[in-house]
Amino acid sequence: MKTADVIVIGGGLAGFMAAAVAANHGQKVTLLTYGSGSLPLMSGAIDVLGNTETPDTAIKNLPAHHPYKKIGLKNIDSATKFFCDLTSQANLPYVGRLSAQIPIVTAVGTLKHSCLVPESMDASNLVGKKKIFVASIKGLKDFYAEMLVDNLKSHFHDSNFEVAKIDLKLLGGRDITCMDAAQLLTDNEQPLANELKALNASEDDAIILPPILGIMGSFSRSVVKTQLRAEIIETTCLPPSPPGIRLQRAFIRYLQKSDVKVFENSKVVRGVVEDKKVTGVVVENAVREKIFRGKKIILATGGFYSGGIQMREFDNPVEPIFDIPVFFPTGAENWSNQQLFSDKPQGFSMTGIFTNENLNPVNEDGKILFENLHVVGANLGGCDKIFERSAGGIAIASAYKAATI
Amino acid sequence: MSDTTKAIFTGDRCLSCTSCMANCPVMAAVKEYRGPKLVGPAHGRMHFSQEDVEESLNYCSNCKSCDRACPSGVAVSTLNMLQRAEYYKKHEHLRHEDMLAHGERMAKLIRKIPFGATFSNIGMGLGKTLGVFSALGLAGERNMPAYASTSLKDYFPRIKQQSSAKKIVLFTGCYINDNEPHVGEAFIKVMNANGYEVLIDKQFNCCGSPLVVTGFLDEARQHADNNVARILDWKKKGIPVVTPCTSCSLMLKEEYHELFGEDKFHEAAENVYDAFEFLEILQERGEFNVDHKPISQKLLYHVPCHLKSQAIGLPAQDILEEFGAKVQLADQGCCGISGNYGFRKDKYEISMKIGAKLFERVKKKDFDKVISDCGTCRMQIHHGTDIKPVHPIEILAAAYQ
Repeated sequence: MKTADVIVIGGGLAGFMAAAVAANHGQKVTLLTYGSGSLPLMSGAIDVLGNTETPDTAIKNLPAHHPYKKIGLKNIDSATKFFCDLTSQANLPYVGRLSAQIPIVTAVGTLKHSCLVPESMDASNLVGKKKIFVASIKGLKDFYAEMLVDNLKSHFHDSNFEVAKIDLKLLGGRDITCMDAAQLLTDNEQPLANELKALNASEDDAIILPPILGIMGSFSRSVVKTQLRAEIIETTCLPPSPPGIRLQRAFIRYLQKSDVKVFENSKVVRGVVEDKKVTGVVVENAVREKIFRGKKIILATGGFYSGGIQMREFDNPVEPIFDIPVFFPTGAENWSNQQLFSDKPQGFSMTGIFTNENLNPVNEDGKILFENLHVVGANLGGCDKIFERSAGGIAIASAYKAATI
Repeated sequence: MSDTTKAIFTGDRCLSCTSCMANCPVMAAVKEYRGPKLVGPAHGRMHFSQEDVEESLNYCSNCKSCDRACPSGVAVSTLNMLQRAEYYKKHEHLRHEDMLAHGERMAKLIRKIPFGATFSNIGMGLGKTLGVFSALGLAGERNMPAYASTSLKDYFPRIKQQSSAKKIVLFTGCYINDNEPHVGEAFIKVMNANGYEVLIDKQFNCCGSPLVVTGFLDEARQHADNNVARILDWKKKGIPVVTPCTSCSLMLKEEYHELFGEDKFHEAAENVYDAFEFLEILQERGEFNVDHKPISQKLLYHVPCHLKSQAIGLPAQDILEEFGAKVQLADQGCCGISGNYGFRKDKYEISMKIGAKLFERVKKKDFDKVISDCGTCRMQIHHGTDIKPVHPIEILAAAYQ
């Protein structure tokens, strides 16, 4: 078996991005993934940094140990451009830039601000709309148009809201999720287009829908949109999430076209290490092990939620593949903040691996552990990515840097 | 490996994250199926509280896309198969389920009749034309796989091999034995070219995959016990068991242990290899024969689901490329047939819908041959495109001539 230029471990946003960027730079890439990764579960929006109107300036003020400081603004910028190019090639256009935030409508009708959002979710233009229709799809699970209207009203006082009851004949069979509806509407958009046309919405109006406009890029959306005068906007939804699935497919198509070898169900259990170099990784299947050899390794196995960092005993978090030291706040009183929805981060969420500027893992003394191993995404420690809403941005930016070093 | 790898225990690791739903080809094709998460891990737990039947369980094709999608190592599809077995404890099997589960029994009967294979092939042709299959509950649109005039096991003694200290046992599986013995022959040629003598063990049964998916779990267990005793015997002699059928190898290596739990299944599994997995191990040891004619063909490779599940990479692609072939992956997901699933009348349409993207890809005809390691995948591609794929071992065997 040939030695890969780059082996990426992990098939979430960071892993896919790292593989895509490396392949784009002419590298022979192998991606090993155990489970289908986080993308089908994500909203589709890439948060770079929350609680700020201008992520780029806010990033400059972050503390030195923050992953963004190691990655550098230039790489973060290049990563967002690469990401937007990749998605637009897949007919899944994203909008956004580092110097601004774009509002999107959540499934319950609150507004969430994010940096890179699918064009179909961009709610910037809702301001000033005369009438906002919110589609209530008969038989669709977990989407309550009336509740959404109640909540959204507080943001758009001057607009009239109307719940539009739409029957797409989804009933008969299982409870229909947004993913099911999106799959059923792919290549079969006309019933929805007809229902929406019947609303007679003008160019001064908007129609808000759950994210059911197909699962292949923005194809289904284009089919419907060209028949309407009003703006149509998709919300986020509970998983499985069509906008996340569209993004996953965009990445997979890109990796396939770039001859990246993607191996599913491949659980990496340890590295093959010579001095300070990782020369390969060991995949354990049901009965035996197989070594995949690579010149450079990118670790994108995620944090606590994905098993990339594990903690079987308190006070002793581990990175299970390379046994890289994991940093986390000491003292039980600092582990968690009992006020779950307060304005303070969760201590345990800072847990992760510390690196140098090249994203090589380092020990407590700042010494590099493996020269050709780079750590990306949720494996990185030093910030509460959920609280500060930086998980997506850190994933794509660290992946970009690791792949281009 | 501990008992916790038995499928039934893995259900508790399910977080209900829905990754399996997002990757289930059957859910994408039909809305009657409630999906792997609800049917497998979730409904599996309901049985502890009350007797309950989830009818949509019969939609699961056991393609194992859910297992591969699961980030927590839940053996979702095997949980489905265990529940299917529960269902049939209280429900009668339908006639076509019985037929599809017992292909091996049928083939053995036919082999006892003089010219049995020829007559039954004619009979199957007639059966299709006259709509008999359809009336039985089988997919009338399909050809039933034709029997080879002589099975591999019967023909085997006539194959000339040099004896060698290096030996492996070929687990033929039913399809290669009865329908495509030339694939087995190609495998033998390849092993001979690598200095191995190939043995056949006539006491092996069908691996049991068709039985498991149709809910004949007790019978499957009998097959498993018999096969595993044989494999352990060969293991003691230091002779590995190798199979070019990816569904057989998955059953022997992994599913027995998931379904039945006992350690012996895992011990036996350690002595079982997929054909190209074995060749790659030879390559790693520097024992692989690279004296061959160059392969100049452009090949389109449909990777079977049951190969993806084995986490062995894609050794066939690597080896064929090293021999000069240009191998492109079809990358269109499950072909839809999933063993005998697509042969059921009520599942035919679903199976063709799942395979549609693959058919479209194959119909581009920008290659010399389509390759796939799985017999039923090959049948499905042939049926959906009129292009007959071959097993990658056939390409390799030709290069050794």
